Order: sequence, then C-alpha cells, then structure tokens
Amino acid sequence: MAVAVQQHEKTPLWRNATFLKWLAQITVLVAVTALFIILGTQAFENFSKSGVSFGFKWLTDPTGVDIREGIDTSPDSGIRALSVGAMNTLRVTISGIFAATIFGTLIGIGRLSKNWIVNKISTVYIETLRNIPLLVQIFFWSALAITLPSLTADDVGTYWFKTSNKGFAFSWVFWDGGFWPWLTFVIVGAIVGKYVSRWRHRIQEETGQPSYPGTFRLLTILVFAVIGWFAWPLLSFLSPVWHWIADLVANLPPMIVPIVVAAASILVAALWIRKFFEARRTPAGFGKMTDDDWFRVIFAGLSGLIIAVLAFVIAGITITTVAGDRVSIPELALIGLSNIFDWLGNSFANNGGTPLVFQQPTVEIRGAGFVNYGTTGMVMSVPFFAVWTGVTLYTATYIAEIVRGGILAVSKGQTEAAQALGLTRSQYLRLIILPQAFRIILPPMGNQYLNLFKNTSLGIGVAFADIVAVGTTIMNQSGQSLPVVLIWMAFFVTGSLIISAIVNYYNRKMKLVER
Amino acid sequence: MTNNETPQQERVLGGDIIITEGVKKWFGDFQALKGVTTKVKEREVVVIIGPSGSGKSTFIRCINRLEAHQEGTIIVDGTELTNDIKNVEKIRSEVGMVFQQFNLFPHLTVLDNITLAPQWVRKIPKAEAEETGMELLERVGIPEQANKYPGQLSGGQQQRVAIARSLAMKPNIMLFDEPTSALDPEMIKEVLDVMKELALSGMTMIVVTHEMGFAKEVADRVLFFDYGTIVEEGTPEHFFTNPQHDRTKLFLSQIL
Ligand SMILES: Nc1ncnc2c1ncn2[C@@H]1O[C@H](COP(=O)(O)OP(=O)(O)OP(=O)(O)O)[C@@H](O)[C@H]1O
Ligand SMILES: [Mg+2]
Repeated sequence: MAVAVQQHEKTPLWRNATFLKWLAQITVLVAVTALFIILGTQAFENFSKSGVSFGFKWLTDPTGVDIREGIDTSPDSGIRALSVGAMNTLRVTISGIFAATIFGTLIGIGRLSKNWIVNKISTVYIETLRNIPLLVQIFFWSALAITLPSLTADDVGTYWFKTSNKGFAFSWVFWDGGFWPWLTFVIVGAIVGKYVSRWRHRIQEETGQPSYPGTFRLLTILVFAVIGWFAWPLLSFLSPVWHWIADLVANLPPMIVPIVVAAASILVAALWIRKFFEARRTPAGFGKMTDDDWFRVIFAGLSGLIIAVLAFVIAGITITTVAGDRVSIPELALIGLSNIFDWLGNSFANNGGTPLVFQQPTVEIRGAGFVNYGTTGMVMSVPFFAVWTGVTLYTATYIAEIVRGGILAVSKGQTEAAQALGLTRSQYLRLIILPQAFRIILPPMGNQYLNLFKNTSLGIGVAFADIVAVGTTIMNQSGQSLPVVLIWMAFFVTGSLIISAIVNYYNRKMKLVER
Repeated sequence: MTNNETPQQERVLGGDIIITEGVKKWFGDFQALKGVTTKVKEREVVVIIGPSGSGKSTFIRCINRLEAHQEGTIIVDGTELTNDIKNVEKIRSEVGMVFQQFNLFPHLTVLDNITLAPQWVRKIPKAEAEETGMELLERVGIPEQANKYPGQLSGGQQQRVAIARSLAMKPNIMLFDEPTSALDPEMIKEVLDVMKELALSGMTMIVVTHEMGFAKEVADRVLFFDYGTIVEEGTPEHFFTNPQHDRTKLFLSQIL
C-alpha cells in the first residue's frame, strides 16, 4: 500500500537554499564592486583636494635618469627607464630560477646521500644560508666582490674571463644583424621537424623497425639552422612587407581598437561558455547544471560585456606625449603595434653581419686614466652579481628541502622494484625516483620561484638597477609616488601570474593518471 | 581435497641454483635470520610459509640483496653475493622479484613498465623490447591494457603486470613475496593461475605465500620458517598430512 506522502507546502523564499545561495553570490559581487568604486572615487577626490597631482604624464616625459646597467643606460622617457629596470629584474629572475633549481636539486640529493661528508656539507649549507636574512646575504656578496682587485692600466687587453671590483666579464654569444631572419629559419625547422618526427613514428609503427624520430627531428632543425646561417639575407624581402604592415596599422582609424577589443572579449566569453557547456555533455546526455555552474556562466558573460564597455570608455582617454601631442589611448595602441612591425622590418633588412657573434670582453682605458671593461663580452656588474648570488643561493636552500621531501615521499617500494630489476642507482634515480618526485615537488617549487622573483626587489640595498630602484629615482624626480608604486605592483602581479601559469601548466601535464 | 595428479612431477629438476649456508641477518640488535641453510634446484618450486615476523621476507630479500646478510654465504647461479657491486647487479638482473604491493612505476604506462629494464639494463632496442613486452602481456592475459597507466588497473591486473615486468628481464629465478596478500579474493585466482603456468614452464621459483592450495598443487618443497630459522621442510604431502614439529602443527591448524 502506498503511504500517503504529506503534501509539501511551498518552501518560503528565506528557507530556499537555492535562492539563498544566489542572494549571497550576488550580494558579494555587488558589495565588492561598490567597494572598489567608492574607494577609487574617494582616493581620486582626496588627491584632487590635497593638491597632490596624480597622473602618468611622467611616463612619457623625458627623464634625466641614468641607469648603471641594462639595455639602455640613458633612457629618454619614464616608461623607457622603467622598462630597462624591468628587464634587469627579469634577467636576475630568469637566470636565478635556473641556477637555484639546478643547485638546489643537487644539494637536496646531497642531503640524502649516504656519503657522510656530502651529507654534512649540504646540511650545513642549508642551515646557514636559510637562517641569514636575504638582504644581509646580498650585502655580503656585494662587499666580497668589492674587495677584488681594481682594474689598472696593466690589465688592458682581451680576456676569456676577468674578475675585478668592477664586476665579472666573460665571453658570450650575442645576436647580430642576421639574428631574426635566422631565427625564422630555425622556427620553421622546428615546425617541419615535428612533422618529420611524426612521419618517422608512423614508419616505426608500420614496419616495427626503429626509425629514430627524435634524432630525425633534431637533424631537421640543425639542417634548417645551418641553411639559415647562410641563407638568412634571402628573407630581407620580408622587410618591406613588415614596414608596409606597420604603415597600414598606423593609418587605421583609432576607433577600430576598442571595437576589436570589445569583439574579442565577447568572443572569448562566448567560447568559454560554450566550452563549459560542452564539458557537461556526456554520451548519456547533458549533465545537470548546479547553481554554481550557472553563476560561473553568468559571471563569464558579464565579464565579457564589462570589458567590452570598458574598452570604449578607455578609448575616450587622451594623454600628452613626449613631443607634447595629445593622443588617445587607441591611437597610442596603434602606434605601439606599428612600431613593433617597423622593428620587425628593420630586423629583417639585410644589415650585414651574421646571426650570432661570439665576443670576448676587453679592458680599456676610458678617458683620463679611467680603466674599465669595454663594450664587448658580457659584464656582470657587482650589484647584479650580489643580487643574483644572493637570491640564487638563498632560494636554493628551500628548493633543496623541497627536493629532499619529494624524493622521500616516493615510496621505498619504487626503489626496491627498480633495484630488483637490476637498474643502477643513477638509472633509477633518473628514470623512476626523480620523475615521480618531480610531480610532488612542482607546486611548492612554483612558490619558491615567486619568492625569488619578488625578493629581487631587495637589490635596491646594493643599488641594483631593477624596476624598484629605477622607479624610486623617478619618484624622487617627478614627485609621483603612487603611480610608480601602482606600476610596480602591476609588474610584480603580472610576472607572478605568468610564473604561476607556467608552473600550473606543467603541473597539469605531469599529473599521474589515476582511475 | 587431495590433489594427486600433481603436474610438477613431469618437471625434471636440475642442479643446485641457489645455495644458502648459515645465513644470519640482524636489524640493529634484533636477529631476523638465525642461520638459514638450504638449496634450491633448477626448475624447483619452493614455497615458504610461517608466522608473521618469522623472517620469510628478509630471507628472500637477501637472495637478490635488497637486504645484505651479515654472516653465512649465498650463492646464486654460481655467483656469490658479496659487497662486489658487479656480482649484485648480475644477480639482480637474473633474479626477478614480485612484491606484495606490486610496486609498479605509476608514471609509466604498463608497456613502458615492462620495457624499461630490458632497454636500460640489457640494452635491448625499444622495438624489440616492446614486442617481447606485448608477448608477456599476452601470456599474463591482459594485452589490451598495454597503454594504460597502473593506476587505471585492478589489483589483480597490476600484479600480473608486475610479473610480466620481472619476466621481461628473462630471469632464471623468480622470487614472490606474498604476491596475493594485497588482493581481493576474486582477483587472487587470476594471479595464482599465472604463477602456476610459470611453474609448469620450468621457472625456478621461491614463493612466500599463505595460499595453501597453491603450495599443495604446485610446490616441490615447503619450508616452514619460525623465529628466523627453517623449522621444518618437506614435500607438500608431508606437510599437510604428517607435520613433525609442534610449531608447524600449531601454525597449520591456525591457517587451514
Ligand atoms: N628494515 C627493518 N628494520 C628493522 N627490523 C626489521 C626490518 N625488516 C624486518 N624487520 C624485522 O625482522 C623480522 C622479520 O621480518 P620479515 O619481514 O622478514 O617477516 P615476515 O616473515 O616476512 O613476516 P610477514 O608475514 O608479516 O611479512 C620482523 O620482526 C621485523 O620486524
Ligand atoms: Mg613479509
């Protein structure tokens, strides 16, 4: 007998979980948006009242800032000066990340070594450097480098490697006139190589004969690189093409920029939503959408619309350039894009030279008895050395601990199984333990990369010309502190997000396949 | 319950392939092996039984030197196990081992698990190793799983892959340490079947197991371990019909 189900009265709104969830989401969204608008307008009013000017005019104003090292030591505008500083920050960060990873991994393995001496040295290294503030370490390396002998007239000459209290100079390979056309050859070679490798794979599958896809791929790239080395001037016909595109871009109506940006943002939102729905479609039918799912869809759609509207709002802003012209943001964007194509045009023109040149450093007499490194070779200044060594060795201690933990987390059974199969220690470390440890290590490693990136800002202690030091100088000259700080923050946030994105990409790629 | 048509009688045992003589092993103060002396003949199937902690695992792990014994001698296929790394590597590549926890390499596909050691230790070309690998997967009954990852397989399938992985090195001797203890009952049979087939094909095997059915059906000889020594040894018939020692009787009464 069916038991009579008690007829549900309609759930009142304040007890309806779905309604409450939506209410909460929308309230939070509205509150956060309102908070930003209020804070923004308030700050703006305060600035206007207090008479502190707030603007970005200094970006395009000529500066008297001289930078000690970098791609341009006497930049002509604030933005140029900051870019030089940013490049210096990135140089330390990227080379530091590579060095800290390699060194930290070795120390981490060393801490697990059964060799007593290796083990103790690793432990002492970690315990010491980890417990001294990074700034102190940077000062230490700087102080140490300054005690090196100074350059004298006796030192004049050409070297493979030279140290002095002016820094470290070493031989290096630089790009030269034909670099970009040659690189085009190499990139084409890499793409062709991919198809060659697929073709060899197919042959291997069909015939069962080993057909060396990897070797073939490398050879293809090598062949293209060698041909490109001599044939790069042939690509100079592209130079006028790039210039033509640059002219075309420069003459586009500025209105096209917000239209393209708006269209792109709406398109991206639409594609995202479509992908989201697609992911819910299974052979069994369309999966159930939860409230959260709907919220995501709506949020994505709204974001697309808001960015589209903002594109038009921002398009209305005009600023004053170095030359004193007033240009709108879209015009600026088009000029920037056009400059990139012009630069490509110049790079592809046959300027003579070779794709790459090898240079040795020199020591020269510059002016009245003033001895310094020449312009060839790679010179690592004392501040760069101090910051680079400091952040590398400091971050390496943390990386070593992460690597050690990762290796220990791979079960002992894995080592035993590998040993039982007759693999040698170096073989099973490389083929079995490290690849598995890598998956455990990667996420915390990403954090250390972020720390290293942010810690380079301590370089200001030894006057390393990074984005922070250059920004400080600009601040003092222009009296604009908040805008400079905002640009710093934007730079570090963007950089950090890029590092995170790269780490996350590898993390997803390496994830173990589970049931 | 008797199993008279024991097929192993058709196998002709060869000469001694493993000789252990007074093997002793300490973990710190604790003596896990107190002088183990026995010989295993070529193509012989030896089953080791005994209570937990009696040193069964320690003993077979000494045979491929996953543990180093401190006293006594172990000679495997004419090579004595000493500190000489070369001997250890030679013996390890000739002696296969299957673990209770499978210990497959989770980051490699099933086929890559199997072909890894032949390629790196035996320097066999990849294509050839893969061909052998597929034959072995065929033999253990799961060729369709070749490109899956261990995490996607059932326990029984994983253990069969582990057996195939060991066989890929073409070992003369196979050691099994409780290969079915981590498996659900319905998967035990599929692994035991593979092991029986292996025994019939003439592989020399030392098997630590609690599967008395397997011992009765396949073993040439059973060793009973307790407190780090062999307390009693004999044919399966002897063991299951006429055990001599009280400890053996007690143990068998508990597990049968
Ligand atoms: N690495 C080790 N360190 C210290 N003691 C150990 C170690 N390995 C084993 N032992 C000890 O040695 C003894 C024998 O262990 P073993 O693993 O050989 O027993 P077993 O007969 O295989 O038992 P089980 O049936 O539970 O697997 C046990 O008392 C164990 O605690
Ligand atoms: Mg055991």
